[in-house]
Amino acid sequence: MNSSDHSPKPYWNPYLSGFGLGLVLLSAFVIMGRGLGASGAFTSVTATVMHAIAPAHATNNALYANYLGDGTQSPLLDWLVFEVLGVLVGGFLSAALANRLKFAVEKGPRISSGSRLIFAFVGGVIMMIGALFALGCTSGQALTGGALLNAGSWVFMMCVFGGGYAAAYFFRKLWL
Amino acid sequence: MNAPFYSFGLFGDQASLVVAFIIGIGFGFFLERAGFGVSPNLAAQFYLRDMRVLKVMFTAIITAMTGLYLLSRIGFVDLSQVYLVPTFLVPQIVGGLLLGIGFVIGGYCPGTSCVSAATGRVDGIVYVAGMFAGVMVYAEAYPHMLGFVHMTSMGQITLARLWDLPYGLLVFAVVLMALGAFVVAEWTEKKFGGMEPDPKGWLSVRPWRVTPVRVLVLGLLAAGFVALAAGSPYRGNHVTIDTKDLALRAGTGADTIQPTDIADWIVQDRNDYTLVDLRAAKDFDAYHIPGAQNLPMTSLSANSLARNQKIVLYSSDSTQAAKALFLLETQGFKSVYLLNGGIQGWHDTVLFPVKSPGMDAAAFEKLALVAKYFGGAPRETSASTSAALAAPMAPTPAPTVAAPVMPAAPAGGIPAAQHKKKREGC
Repeated sequence: MNSSDHSPKPYWNPYLSGFGLGLVLLSAFVIMGRGLGASGAFTSVTATVMHAIAPAHATNNALYANYLGDGTQSPLLDWLVFEVLGVLVGGFLSAALANRLKFAVEKGPRISSGSRLIFAFVGGVIMMIGALFALGCTSGQALTGGALLNAGSWVFMMCVFGGGYAAAYFFRKLWL
Repeated sequence: MNAPFYSFGLFGDQASLVVAFIIGIGFGFFLERAGFGVSPNLAAQFYLRDMRVLKVMFTAIITAMTGLYLLSRIGFVDLSQVYLVPTFLVPQIVGGLLLGIGFVIGGYCPGTSCVSAATGRVDGIVYVAGMFAGVMVYAEAYPHMLGFVHMTSMGQITLARLWDLPYGLLVFAVVLMALGAFVVAEWTEKKFGGMEPDPKGWLSVRPWRVTPVRVLVLGLLAAGFVALAAGSPYRGNHVTIDTKDLALRAGTGADTIQPTDIADWIVQDRNDYTLVDLRAAKDFDAYHIPGAQNLPMTSLSANSLARNQKIVLYSSDSTQAAKALFLLETQGFKSVYLLNGGIQGWHDTVLFPVKSPGMDAAAFEKLALVAKYFGGAPRETSASTSAALAAPMAPTPAPTVAAPVMPAAPAGGIPAAQHKKKREGC
């Protein structure tokens, strides 16, 4: 390996990355008795912030109240919150080792950076609402539930691909 | 060895957060290695240009699925202790479709956006901000759509239980499906992606060449075949019973649940528990608590109940219910409870609550509402208690519970017709 070469290294073969990811998921099952997740951490953090800004509003809201618990322990001391912190670190480490850290806007060739950021925000909003309806996202439902043959997760996974392919034509300008 | 380690108490909540962090590092690392920190790589999936999302996802799913299956089959992992997200069919269809649309618009999913943000991508950071906004939008709307988010509830259910097929057969089928999808994905990339065939791709190199991906594919296929032949992963579990804990729970009453709590759960349409009626089928058919399933003692096993779910037992015979509780505990069920007082307790405290001397009007009003919801009626005094109590104590309690003895003159009682109609709905 040439240490003076700072160009980004190629990504791993998708099947081998998938195998690695599968082993991480398997170890979560074996060690913790649960799978991976992501979206739930955002709800915990939002509930905590809302509780700090508007305590009465947060405790009266059924969704936040679920995440705030009985108040004896911070909702941030949560498995998913710590797992997502790990994701940030793991992603950073992997990119750093492969020279892929870059301050940039990733986008299709035909839209401006400004438009891309607006769509990224809107996509985040829609994605999160979907994840809350479905009780999980691509990690917590599709990956985890898929491996557990969870009935709802497989229906969910088919719908993610279905929704994505159905919408793809209308948003082709963003990516092609 | 007993796994999952956490479920068997090998470490506590504090340590679990450290585990979470380490597992997260692995998760983030492989997502980044796969190229998932960069949105065009992900979005390309939906334009058939680059199928890496499908390849990575399905490889991960079948790796974890076959691995977990085999570890369960040899008795290392107790599969029934692994948490299953409950199925709510319609909300999950709607959620899935929204997620797919959000994926195309935003270019990430929640996990990959974290990797993107952590590696400096501004669109990833903005996407994360969008997700926080999404939580706030949903939270404000949540109280108004409780009916929707809880509809079509099916409980914690695997495809194997849903279709009544052997678990191993489904594992094998999913492996085959995934490998088929990989072949199609390679073809699509060539056709739509305009990609030169990877000279080292698992379908491109000469048939006799051994490559890591080929070894992986063959290994997963072999694991699938083993699953097909090896039967149920739920067999071969070893359970250790903590008798001290069992005695402590029984002694402190920590293993009982009040009928009024069950009533609240039913009214709230909660889905995180299973209510089991242990009585004979004819008694069950005559009357049962709404949502209960009828399981006689002989069919109490992991095949009909999930070990990781909260189970509440009731019967007309408290000794029988207690025996059933112990039977389930010996089978490794972790959270089994008795309905306090059994069906009689339900009858006396929920269907026909009595106003106790010290009770204020508002509290009794609430009890009355709940009673009417379930087709019962409150009693102002316990004067008529003896009649109502005596009847269900008769040798054949079921009919009396089915047609509860109404107090002669319930103060402000509901008309008999309405009473009957409501109970049929139960």
